[in-house]
Amino acid sequence: MARGSDVEVLEELLAVEARQVAAYEAALRRGAIEPALGEELLEHEREHAAALERRLGTAERNPRATVPSSELTRALRSREDFARYALGLEAEAVAAYAEAAANMSDARLRQPLGSIMACEAAHRVALRDSLGRRPLVD
Amino acid sequence: MAVSLTRREALGGAAAALLLASCGGGDPPPGGAKPGSGAALLSSLLALQHATVAAYGACEEVLRGEALAEVRAIRAQEREHAGRLEVGIRDLGGEPPAGKTAEEYARTFPRLRTEADALLFADHLEQRQVRAYLDAIKDFTQAGARATAADIGADQAGHLAAVRVLRGLPAAQGPFVTGAL
Repeated sequence: MARGSDVEVLEELLAVEARQVAAYEAALRRGAIEPALGEELLEHEREHAAALERRLGTAERNPRATVPSSELTRALRSREDFARYALGLEAEAVAAYAEAAANMSDARLRQPLGSIMACEAAHRVALRDSLGRRPLVD
Repeated sequence: MAVSLTRREALGGAAAALLLASCGGGDPPPGGAKPGSGAALLSSLLALQHATVAAYGACEEVLRGEALAEVRAIRAQEREHAGRLEVGIRDLGGEPPAGKTAEEYARTFPRLRTEADALLFADHLEQRQVRAYLDAIKDFTQAGARATAADIGADQAGHLAAVRVLRGLPAAQGPFVTGAL
């Protein structure tokens, strides 16, 4: 079970994951992402969220509210729009996990959070590829 | 008993041997850096970066088209990472290791005959890099060094994913790239 300020950080990461899960679920419902890619990314985000929930355990919690975003609604109009929106979400996730991994007071959490960060970085490459862009360079 | 290796195992094993040989986690801090400053670990990561830059040079010789452009972009980022690590070591009062000569590195590389060989080699290189930086996040005692390791580690994960895409594989191996939460 995480403690103190680490709990706050894990709650924030859980909110990041909740936004991603909501986005990929909506995109799959609306056909705004290629189904195989959407299912894969959604499964990963759900796994991350479940792992964070397990780590939070019975800690005294203060869950963050997640509000549907009007930006997401606009992004669902096309696969290209959604991929660009999702790239932004994944970039936020990479930054959030990098900061968390570096600053966790419980040293045992640092490497596993880095492991999720690495997955989110791979998602960015997958989304760029879905846009027909080169994985790293234009 | 003779041990037979598949070509895939041989290439992967060579990458592992190269990179493990390049690491020196138990080395003393370089130059005038203080023990425990993190300079020794930064130097190990820098040695890994030097080896990786050289290895990508070998990959470039057999790649063409999009794969060559991607690998060149990755190699340029690897050089930037090496530069960041050198600055970090100097900031701690150390002297960055210079790396080996191109000929010395070349002797440790597998023979890359095809694009598939080069991309498999690159895949193994990036897996080692990702593991090294994620381990460094755990091992550095200073938050600033951990932040640098996390930042570069995210780039390495992007490189690994890009190489996987070039190999026709899904970008992400799974929800946890190394070690689950």
